[in-house]
Amino acid sequence: MKRPMPDLAPELFRPALFDEAAAELTGYAHYSYWRSTMRTFLKSPVSIFLLALIVVLVTASFIYPLVSPTDPNRVDLDTATWNMEPGSGHAFGTDGLGRDLWARAWYGTRTSMLLGLIIAILDVGIGMIAGALWGYVKRLDRVMTEIYNVLNNIPQTVFLILLTYIMRPGFWTIVVALCTTGWIGIARFVRNKVLMIRDAEYNIASRCLGTPLHRMILKNVLPYLVSILIMEAALTIPYSIGSEVFLGFIGLGLPLDTVSLGNLVNLGKNNFMLYPYQLTWPTLLLAAITISFYIVGNRFADASDPRNHV
Amino acid sequence: MSADNILEVSDLRVSFSLRGKMLTALRGTSLELRRGETLAVVGESGSGKSVLAKTFLGMLDKNGRVESGSIIFDGQDLARYTTEKQWLGIRGKRIAMIFQDPMTALNPLKTVGEQIREAAALHRGLDRRTSRLAVIETLERVGIGEPELRYRQFPHEFSGGMRQRAVIAAAVACRPEVLICDEPTTALDVTVQAQILDLIKSLQRDLHMSVLFITHDLGVVASVAQRVAVMYSGQVVEEGSVEEVFYDPRAPYTWALLASLPQLGVKGEELYSIKGTPPSLFKEIRGDAFAPRNPQALEVDFVEEPPAFPVSPTHWARTWLLDPRAPCIEAPRSIMRLRERLSKARKDPGRAGKASGGEA
Amino acid sequence: MSDDTILSVRGLGVEFPMGRKRFTAVDGVSFDLRRGETFSLVGESGSGKTTIGRAIMRIHPISKGEILFEGKRVSGRIDASAERLLRQRIQMIFQDPMASLNERAKIDYIVSEGLYNFRLFKDEAERRAKVEKALRDVGLIPEFASRFPHEFSGGQRQRIGIARALVMEPELLIADEPISALDVSIRSQVINLMNRLKRDRGLTYLFIAHDLSVVRFISDRIAVIYRGRLVELAGAEELFAHPLHPYTRALLSAVPLPDPEVERLKKHVAYDPSIHDYSQGKPSWSEVSSGHFVLGNECEIRGWKA
Repeated sequence: MKRPMPDLAPELFRPALFDEAAAELTGYAHYSYWRSTMRTFLKSPVSIFLLALIVVLVTASFIYPLVSPTDPNRVDLDTATWNMEPGSGHAFGTDGLGRDLWARAWYGTRTSMLLGLIIAILDVGIGMIAGALWGYVKRLDRVMTEIYNVLNNIPQTVFLILLTYIMRPGFWTIVVALCTTGWIGIARFVRNKVLMIRDAEYNIASRCLGTPLHRMILKNVLPYLVSILIMEAALTIPYSIGSEVFLGFIGLGLPLDTVSLGNLVNLGKNNFMLYPYQLTWPTLLLAAITISFYIVGNRFADASDPRNHV
Repeated sequence: MSADNILEVSDLRVSFSLRGKMLTALRGTSLELRRGETLAVVGESGSGKSVLAKTFLGMLDKNGRVESGSIIFDGQDLARYTTEKQWLGIRGKRIAMIFQDPMTALNPLKTVGEQIREAAALHRGLDRRTSRLAVIETLERVGIGEPELRYRQFPHEFSGGMRQRAVIAAAVACRPEVLICDEPTTALDVTVQAQILDLIKSLQRDLHMSVLFITHDLGVVASVAQRVAVMYSGQVVEEGSVEEVFYDPRAPYTWALLASLPQLGVKGEELYSIKGTPPSLFKEIRGDAFAPRNPQALEVDFVEEPPAFPVSPTHWARTWLLDPRAPCIEAPRSIMRLRERLSKARKDPGRAGKASGGEA
Repeated sequence: MSDDTILSVRGLGVEFPMGRKRFTAVDGVSFDLRRGETFSLVGESGSGKTTIGRAIMRIHPISKGEILFEGKRVSGRIDASAERLLRQRIQMIFQDPMASLNERAKIDYIVSEGLYNFRLFKDEAERRAKVEKALRDVGLIPEFASRFPHEFSGGQRQRIGIARALVMEPELLIADEPISALDVSIRSQVINLMNRLKRDRGLTYLFIAHDLSVVRFISDRIAVIYRGRLVELAGAEELFAHPLHPYTRALLSAVPLPDPEVERLKKHVAYDPSIHDYSQGKPSWSEVSSGHFVLGNECEIRGWKA
């Protein structure tokens, strides 16, 4: 406890001026939820890299078809152009009908991305609204729980296969098939969150002030769900893309004239023994997209948790 | 180390790294726990009182570490302990702890009796039958009726107060020399709190334990402790007997704390109120941490940290106001009133006893 | 009901469903609040004190009795104008400043929430001026309006909660343990603020608390509640000087006071509900001396009057 006494000027022993406003500021901290979320997210170089990769892939796949003259479905009758190795004027080579795989890869990515995005938006949109009502309106609870039990107990794959058999294979069939089962999981997630939020003290405060239900949902509930919903969407995209590839793989995917990653993988696997590059490139692309979305989604979920903020 | 100190902390610095930032929880904390006494450590949230308790048991979170200073217990420096093995002989055996929430200390899947028995047998090397009897005796000792029946029950069958009694039983079952209580009554109702405080007091007497009692409630301090250490921003700013600190406080923070209590206020008058809030522990603190909130601060408080000035052999405070060069600055009015009551109480010791609800 | 009664609670009962059974949280509670007073409701956890506050605010439906505000019924089925009256003139302050503010809304929105609900402003400028004034009134800087709650400390947040209530220009404030979650050094800021507002604006408070010793400093009258029923009601000083009901005595002796001399000589009194022998006569709510009510049977009351 004993420390040498420092030399202090006697004039320091004067009462100091007291600044009340400065004292008030001692408890004040600059903190913004979104800024901290972004800062935590961007702290990891992996997240930045993968996010950049997603941005590049998405932009390129949507721009390429607009600027490139190559038709991904143009069949070349000249057998010399069939199954050409990568390089040789075709960056990814050609397939068994002489179609340019580079072009097909971008067209395929665009189709799959679009599919993923549409399903994500529908799933999250329906799931959010249904979940909010499920949580808020007590009478809906029984019905929704039953629907959840039914949908959740049917094996996903069986359901997908069944639906694609019933409906004609096509882009929207896959959208419908994946959305029918996809929304309920998100709805339940949202419902559980809403139940937690509903009786929080700040919501009781709003009720005491006579705040109408629509503003309660808009101002008191939804802002708490935004980060969760973004994460859910980010995870639905790779799942949907993967499902489309799976359906294509077992021959129930999109029609063959639609270029998608699923069809590319499906065709590539047939020639895999002779021309492995025809499977390798689409698969690598697929892996890059799904893994990036998956990791970015999870990293974002971590970053959006205020407990991880400083 | 003086012979009657069982635990002596000097100049302890503990910091945590949180996502690249450094949080200093203890900034040179010093205090001593005497053999057989109850020392209350009082402070607000963020004062570092709970971190201090955890260092006595090697229970700091993984991102925290003792930077410097020492914790001398029975000739050993606990601050240097690094492995779990070293702690094994101390934790729960010679130094035991009771937490704020009894539910976190109990395993919900095991009967209360078995949990206590395991804790006791582990440390005292008793066989099953003897230890079972010892536990039943301990349960009875902590005021749990029908101990044989209670032995077989699960934590959820206990009420909040009974659970805390069970936790206390587990803590004292191995006859520790030091009992650390970290806000053990904060989650309880006042009537239950009174019973638990009485229990801790009587156990301390009967088992000759030294108790370190951590709380934010000055009423609890007055009720359980013989001595008190006041903490602010990771430092003990004043230490002394309860009479010295309550009736003759010297540190401006202690003044402010006491003067702002509604229990000691006079109805119709403004309470003394402390402006602002405690400083962020992430920032480096220059001078006296309380200075920006202290209307009686001296200029020197913003420049240089005050050392501990002795007031009496048992009482010291960290404030430049005790420096001979400092001007004479009066304590707030309500503190002066406390002083008057002290002199009255000394003249007429029977008087204070008549108060049922205290004086205001 | 005299003219200065602002709120009247009559035979209030609140029940909650608990599985198949119903749990009675509040049972036959009656009291009147006089304009401009601080009336405290003191009890332990599970006593029903918070439920009473929330029943007045229509958060919990009531099962028995009625609540009148300025002579108008505000419980049960009421019309829009009565609801409007209640939502504007009675406001609430909450226990936990960390939980009672919407973290994702700016202070500006939080304070103006009630103003938006009832369109209590002509234009944007008037709304801003009202928010600014409310913040100043609780000792905060108006610039804070553009910030989010997590930028503030507990005491500042509690004052934001008070500003949110004040902006509605209420007559009655229900304060549910407004200081028990705050640090000791912050409590007096909030107590002083509440007392100042009472003096300057003639506010009436229903103060809900568990700590009798704190309540004494701010209350004019205190009611003690035990397991959903009021057991004693008296002026603050009268209650401390002559506590009659054994539960009140137990509660008074249990609260530790920040005074070592007093504590050293104090003996705790435990309350055992079985000491009442109500086989001889049901307990009733009786006035023992002017303004001092106790729950007891005839025999007990006779003993207390003596």
